[in-house]
Amino acid sequence: MKDCLLCGAGLRNEMPLGDLIRLTPLRKRTICEPCSAAFSPLESFPTCSGCGRKRTKEMPDPCYDCQRWEKDSQFKFINTALFEYNPAMKDYMKRYKFAGDYRLRQVFSERIHEQLRKQSAIIVPVPVGADTMATRGFNQVTGLLESDRYLELLNVRLDKKTIRQSEKNRQDRLMLGQPFEMMAPEKNQIKNQAVLLVDDVYTTGTTIRHAAALLLQAGAASVRGLTLAR
Amino acid sequence: MINDISELYGRQIPQRDLAASLQRAVDIHLRPAISHDHGLVCQRCGSKLRRSLASLPNHHFYCYVCIQMGRVDTLSPLAYMEEPNRFSDNQSPLSWLGQLTELQTECANKVIEVFQRRQHHLLWAVTGAGKTEMLFKGISWAVANGLRVGIASPRVDVCIELFPRIQAAFNQVSMVLLHGKSEQRYQYSQITICTTHQLLRFYHAFDVLIIDEVDVFPYSGNPMLHYGVQNAIKPAGAMLYLTATPDQALFKAISRKKLSVSYLPIRYHGHYLPEISVIRVKNLAQQIQTSKLPKQILRIIAELVAEKQRFLLFVPHIKDLTRVADAIKNAGIMAKFETVFSADPDRLEKVALMRKRQLDFLITTTILERGVTFPGIDVLVLKADNDIFSAAALVQIAGRVGRNTDRPTGQVLFYCEVKTPNIKSCDRQIKLMNRKAAKL
Ligand SMILES: [Zn+2]
Ligand SMILES: [Zn+2]
Ligand SMILES: [Zn+2]
Repeated sequence: MKDCLLCGAGLRNEMPLGDLIRLTPLRKRTICEPCSAAFSPLESFPTCSGCGRKRTKEMPDPCYDCQRWEKDSQFKFINTALFEYNPAMKDYMKRYKFAGDYRLRQVFSERIHEQLRKQSAIIVPVPVGADTMATRGFNQVTGLLESDRYLELLNVRLDKKTIRQSEKNRQDRLMLGQPFEMMAPEKNQIKNQAVLLVDDVYTTGTTIRHAAALLLQAGAASVRGLTLAR
Repeated sequence: MINDISELYGRQIPQRDLAASLQRAVDIHLRPAISHDHGLVCQRCGSKLRRSLASLPNHHFYCYVCIQMGRVDTLSPLAYMEEPNRFSDNQSPLSWLGQLTELQTECANKVIEVFQRRQHHLLWAVTGAGKTEMLFKGISWAVANGLRVGIASPRVDVCIELFPRIQAAFNQVSMVLLHGKSEQRYQYSQITICTTHQLLRFYHAFDVLIIDEVDVFPYSGNPMLHYGVQNAIKPAGAMLYLTATPDQALFKAISRKKLSVSYLPIRYHGHYLPEISVIRVKNLAQQIQTSKLPKQILRIIAELVAEKQRFLLFVPHIKDLTRVADAIKNAGIMAKFETVFSADPDRLEKVALMRKRQLDFLITTTILERGVTFPGIDVLVLKADNDIFSAAALVQIAGRVGRNTDRPTGQVLFYCEVKTPNIKSCDRQIKLMNRKAAKL
């Protein structure tokens, strides 16, 4: 018997009845029912067509944030998010990303694989900086992609990683210049190809849009986004 | 982030958490955080790690067992500095002016001897024996001799309750309280009061280490915490275990002569332990499940509230808390009360409210079975026949009653459907101690 990766409770081996009925591909269970219920999947809710956030009745589509983006940027960008960034997801990120519990990638890697299986686009993870790699020892995005084929085409520019993301306010983040650069730009594997950018969390959208701009500039035919949380 | 070198005395911290100015200090020793020799073994918590689970990309490994204390991994070695015992000279550090009874004095002298001879010893004293006060002379001797003292307990509530008392007794001695919920910054201090989890950050630090409530979860049967204790104490340090309810592991250590023992069967005020009243109630579990309580229990609760007799109401499971609370509310009993359980984010505040006499009672799981004292209370246990109430837990629960001289007695009411072996054993243990006390 295995234990829930999040709370340590014993996992029963039975398949959830829902999976039997829906005949969805058999997902390895990594967390228990109560832990699983604390996450809020976005697939069954109306979402913003720009950033993928859950849309309330009062919210226009796209949301105000996305309308502002549309005004300010040269290209249209569409992001899909799998889960709401609720307290459970916040806590998950704290443990997986900030505390560095690499095992926790398995909580969502199968779900992400399910999403990406049918993808024909080239999958590109948003990178982490060299200092993060040296202390954390992994990129939280590629961890989530362990069952998928992806191309690491982006690098964090050394000169841009002096302030940590979490220490900047929204204004700073929007003002900052391009934090990324193309890795081996001479190869140009994305010319006229559709690209799917993957990141862990969509917060302001700045990070993933910077990455998208760079890929479009490098000749990608289209760039969309997929994030675990919004 | 470690900014001052003294924060590294007797501690083990991943090197990356050291300020840049300290990285090259000459006296810092480094050792790998995870050893490879015979499989992967975490050097901080002693856990054997499964390769598949401990793997990071690029052939690095981390410990997933003690990660709640901050991650250790092969990317950064553990840094430590030898404990220098750099404390200010204090020949009479004890500011406590209280008096010990004759029997307490005997135990207190034994404690000094244990510390002087660097022995491993169990002080087995009944609930309410005044064991904290019995430590004072021993701690005073240790502090006067420039030794570093650690007092650890598996229960955070015990640490929080202990800290102000030790602080009041040694008001000129540097002291720090460490637990997972505290905001207090670590500071090199002569006396450290902490949870047994926090000991994982220490390495050969303590000349004298006291483990309070040693028989309790999560320490009991947790090899990681045992390993942490062995690492935290200096190789020739003195170790004193305290409890009112020793478990099998302690008895085994005593019979193998690895541990000496002294015993105090009577409370500091000289009164006997309150004996338990077992009241059998039909269908108790079933009634609680439907948020109901038998009339006789509701009547007792209403009477206690009317008499302003404060009490603790123990239930076996978290889910029983709201059911019992609803039953009391639905019965129209006007009372101020709260429910508490271990993961309750407001637990510490609620306990503080009870202590300030702003509540009539608390409904609680076994989390308040020990360490926490409210003067003059009664105790009720619902479903005392549930497996969750071990004999030791029941003895501890009964031990909440009659703690102070003003009201050295009180009621201990166990409600159950059947009188289980645990209840019988609890009853026997209390009566045995009272018989021993009578012979003194
Ligand atoms: Zn769980
Ligand atoms: Zn949007
Ligand atoms: Zn460990």
